[in-house]
Parts: sequence; C-alpha cells; structure tokens
Amino acid sequence: MKITDTIRRAGRSLRQAKVRTLLTSLAIAVGGFTLTLALAAGAGSRQYADKIISSNIDPQMLMIAKDKSLFGEGDAGSTFGVGGLREYSDNATQYSGLTLEALSSTDLEKIEKRSDIEKVTPTYLVNAQYVTFAKKADKKYTSDITVFDTSVKPEIVAGSLPDGKQQIRDDEVVVPEAFLQTLGVTDKQAFIGSTVTLHLAKMPTQLSESEMQDIIAREGLAGLQKYTQVEARDVALKVRAVSKQSVTSLSASSALFISENTARELSDYLTKGTDQYRSYVSVMALVKAGTDPVTVKEALAKDKIYAMTAKDAQGILFTIVNLIQGIVIGFGVLALIASIFGIINTQYISVLERTQQIGLMKALGMRGRDVSKLFRYEAAWIGFLGGAIGALLAWGVGMALNPWITDTIGLGEGNYLLVFQPLPIAILLVSLIVVAVLAGYFPARKASKLDPIEALRTE
Amino acid sequence: MIEVKNVTKTYGKKEHLFTALKDVSFTIPSGTSVAILGKSGSGKSTLMHAMSGLDRPQAGEVVIDGQDILRLKAKEVDKFRARTIGFIFQSFFVQGNESVSDNVSLPLEIADVARSKRKAKIQAALESVELLDKLHGKAKNLSGGQKQRLAIARAIVNEPQIIFADEPTGNLDSVTGEKVEDMLFGYNKEKGVTLIIVTHDADLAAKCDMQINIKDGQIESIRDSRATKTTGKVRVI
Repeated sequence: MKITDTIRRAGRSLRQAKVRTLLTSLAIAVGGFTLTLALAAGAGSRQYADKIISSNIDPQMLMIAKDKSLFGEGDAGSTFGVGGLREYSDNATQYSGLTLEALSSTDLEKIEKRSDIEKVTPTYLVNAQYVTFAKKADKKYTSDITVFDTSVKPEIVAGSLPDGKQQIRDDEVVVPEAFLQTLGVTDKQAFIGSTVTLHLAKMPTQLSESEMQDIIAREGLAGLQKYTQVEARDVALKVRAVSKQSVTSLSASSALFISENTARELSDYLTKGTDQYRSYVSVMALVKAGTDPVTVKEALAKDKIYAMTAKDAQGILFTIVNLIQGIVIGFGVLALIASIFGIINTQYISVLERTQQIGLMKALGMRGRDVSKLFRYEAAWIGFLGGAIGALLAWGVGMALNPWITDTIGLGEGNYLLVFQPLPIAILLVSLIVVAVLAGYFPARKASKLDPIEALRTE
Repeated sequence: MIEVKNVTKTYGKKEHLFTALKDVSFTIPSGTSVAILGKSGSGKSTLMHAMSGLDRPQAGEVVIDGQDILRLKAKEVDKFRARTIGFIFQSFFVQGNESVSDNVSLPLEIADVARSKRKAKIQAALESVELLDKLHGKAKNLSGGQKQRLAIARAIVNEPQIIFADEPTGNLDSVTGEKVEDMLFGYNKEKGVTLIIVTHDADLAAKCDMQINIKDGQIESIRDSRATKTTGKVRVI
C-alpha cells in the first residue's frame, strides 16, 4: 500500500469519528499549549535580557575584580549577597555590606599594562549626601552617581552628547528624564545648562586612642575637634543633557552621569585617608576591538584576577530564565504524558470498533505492517491536530495578553514577554507527532496482529 | 486450476482436538463455478479459508496454477490474495461511512495499483454491477442488495482469477438474491473467472458447474454437472 493512500485512509477514519478525534487531540493540545507558551516566554525573556545587556554593557567590556564572589561564583558556589566564612585579606573592602577583596595597585598595573586592553575605568564609588537642583533649590534629593559610559550611550530627549567616544566635560552632568518629573520640570530645553549641586560629606578619619592623645597634646581639644569634624564639599555641575526614560537601560534611567575625571576626583576626595583610598572592588576594562574578551578573561584568571564579560552577565540572567522555562516545560511534559494514555485508550477502542474493517483489509491482502502504519498515521494526525490547536491557541492567547503583560510588569513599550518563533513551534509540532505515534504503537500492533478469520466471523 | 491435496486442519490440542478438515482432496478447473455445500459447522468455511490462503492447514497442499500457496511466506500469500483473489461475504463488509468509490478503491490500493489507473477500473467495476450512479454516495445509504453488488464490484475491480463468495445471498431476499447470483454467474462466464461459492442453499448450489458436498470435515460427494451440460467451457488462465 502506498504511503499517500495510507495517510489518506487514516485521515478519513479520523474524520468519521470527529468528536473522538477532537477530544483526543485536545488532550495533546493542552500539552502543546503549555509548551508553546513556555517556549515563547523563554524566547521573549532572552530577547528582553539581551536588550538590557546590550543597552547597558558594551560587548567588548570586561568587569574585572579580585573577588570572584562579586560575580556569584564564589568558592562555595555562593551567590552574590550570600556570605560565608572567608579568609581574611588585608586588601578587603566593605562593599554593600559585604567584605570583598579589592584589586591591589599591582593588579591594576597588570591590567593597565595589557596590550589588548584599550582603557581601564575603575568603578568609582561617589556617594553624595544629597543633591540639589537650581530649578528647585529648596529641596534636597538623593541619587546614584555614575560615570558617563562612552561606549553605551543613552538616548537623549534634550541637550546633546559629545561625538564619538568622547567624555562629557568635567563640570557637566547628564540627568535622567525621570528626575525631571520628580522635580516638576516640564520645559526640558530650559533645564539644560541649569546647575546641579552634589553635596559630599567626608566622614572624619578614624583615630586610635594614642593618635587622639598625640593631637590633644599638640593642638589641644580644638585641634581634635577639627580632625573629627565632618568635612563637606559642594560640587556644582551644569546639565548637559537629559537622558531618555528607558526600561532596558537601567543606569540611564536612575543615575546622574558625571565625567570620569570628576568621578575619580570625588572618589579620591571621599576616600582619602581611609583604607579604601584608590582601592577598587572592580574596574571596567574596554577590550580592544578584534580581541575576544573571553581570551583576556582567561589570561587574567591566571593572575588570579577575575573578569566577567557581557556574555557572562547575559548567562547569569539566562540561567534564571532557563530555570523558569524548565519548570513550565515540565508541566507541559506532564500534560503530554497524560495525553499519551488518552491516545492509547482511544486507539485501542478504535481498533476494537473496526475489527471487521481490519479483518477485511487483511483478507484482501493488506500486510500487517500496513495495517499498523494506518493506525500509526492516525495517531500522527491526532498529534499534529493537537499540536496545531495548542500552538494556535497559545499564539492567540499570547498575542492578546502581550500588551497587558508588558503593561503590568513594566517591560517598556515594544518589549513583549511572549515571543513566538516559527522554528521552535515547528520542532514542537514534529515532536508531538512523534509522541503521538509512539503512543499509538501498542494499539497499532494489536491491529496488525488481528486474525482476519476471527475478525470476519459473523456467526 | 486449483488442486486441493490431502488437506487436514485441526483446532485445539489433545483431548480438545477438533478436526475441521480431514484429508480433503479435489481439483477445480479454471473458469468453473463451484459450490461448496454443507451445513453449518461442516468445515466448508475452513476449506474456503485454506483455499484462499487466509488459513494454514496442518497438512496437505493447495496448488493454484502450479504453486502451493501453503508453502508461501506470509508476505507472498498476502500479495497472492491481493492480486488473484476476490472476496464476497454474507454480511457484505462494506464500509458504510466511506463513499462507494472509496470502498471499491480499497483492493486497488492494497495491490499497489497506480493511482492513474484506478478511476477507470472503479468505474468499470461499478458499471458492471449497475451502481455507477452511486459512485460518490455513501455506502451506508445503499439497500442490502446494492451493498452486496458493491461488494461484488470490490471483488472484481482488480480482475481476480478466483472469486470466493461466502453465502453471498444469505442476507438477501429471493428477488435481490437472484440478481446478485445472476451477476456473479454472468461475470464467471463472461471473464472465465473461477467462482467458488460457499453455501448451504441447495438451489444456489444447483446453478453451479460443480458441487462439493462437505460433511464433518470430509468430502461426501462431488458432482460435476459440466460433464452433462454443454454450456460450460473450460479455459486455462
């Protein structure tokens, strides 16, 4: 029997039992629906994560640190934020409540001397006590302060940015659009050129008892007061540009951008006299174009200096996405397993119902193999139908829900959680067909083994 | 020519042993119409199954045109049935949900007849049983007599050399039964096809060239009416 004839006959048998066919394929459709949504959510999340990474990190950028735990790959596999018992190091620095080993000056030198690294920028910690804006001078605000990243430029709604990879001037600042809303500023153009003042407060130097006694002996109590007083400094900056509100560009929406020189100067000022002076937990290094950041990362690892590439950052995000996707896929697979029993059951009933038909076909010389094929193709049709219904339903639901999801979890315009790609759906369909055919194996075998004489006995 | 030689078929084992056919031998020339006559349980159906390759007796030979079909592999037997044998059953076994045309198409599909040749064959078969006008109708909408005619069309569509008919008129009234009989004998005479009818109806058997009486798995008598008639013609295929 020709395959096309078998497929046609299989399709016809199914059409003759429409309700049963539909119900059986609906069981598969549940699995297909869940799996399609899981795949779409995975694809969407990865796209979104990709977008976030690329709008925040230059692919050639390496984040370099002495302490692996900063990247969530500590010795005990502890993730960022989870502490543990660690060996003491003279070079350790407090960072976000964690004790992290900072890069020593020799480490920094090693990095800077590398020929494949174009530029090294330490991650300066500039903590302003408060920030004031000339446009609303009566109020004090707090804000994160970051170095303007020349490699990943933010979008601008007012003002301008320097061309190419140039830094902004040392007395300039880029303000996020969101800040203007808080300030109640509506005329963005007029905001350009206005003054932003960073109020820095330097904590007094920690003195030991003997040092204190020395000072009192030398300069008296007044002298001691001078040493332990909080030192303050105001830095006035001019607004150069207003960066556009973007969901994917994290720093551009939430921090003031200052020039690298200013950041270094302020960081030095704040840490001078402390053990954190010129000691950085991490530095950003720009790898020269044409060199794979991974090779630099591996070379640095030999010196016990650790780095994270943009891809690694992506990997961390993807791990979470993959885990969640895996869980949803697990549920889909469970639904599929349930549907397998449905197919086996229906096909068995179908074989019983069509005993005479099978007997006739075998009497007319149809091979047992072809009879088995007929039933397996029927199962394949059911799998295809179920998969198509599930995928189509998932697509419809996804398309309808996407705007709402984007709105609810704030993905930002143009970003969707559920992204339907044709290839994974096609692969899914094929695997559903395979699963259905496997489920139809036993009923098909029963049909092929049927004795035509028994099947056609009418007495 | 069909030669049945010393065919013995048993069911069960030891004390439950039942002999359905006991050392049965006879010869049927090609183009003959034969009635295998016997009561229910006499072994006539078992004999038909053995002669058509549906069943394998424990002993004996069924030689059709020089080939012992009992020695063939399962695959070859299936092929043999698909190419040389047509079946007609008492309960028709037409597929009610399928169209008349699809019912007739089944043997052609099984015998791997090219799709381009099928349409003409189906039409010719339906025409000879006067059902061409029902080509696209559903088989379940046919009357009993029409269903059996459809079964005849299905049996002859691939131009078999032998047609086995198991009580072909058993479920039909005498008028429609007669029409079906006429068609079967007409086809037998016209195409020189060997027609083997299994029946307990003595009137139907009397219309055949040859009557083989079976009782308790053994041949009781064989009567060859062609010896006395002049109408029967022997043709070698």
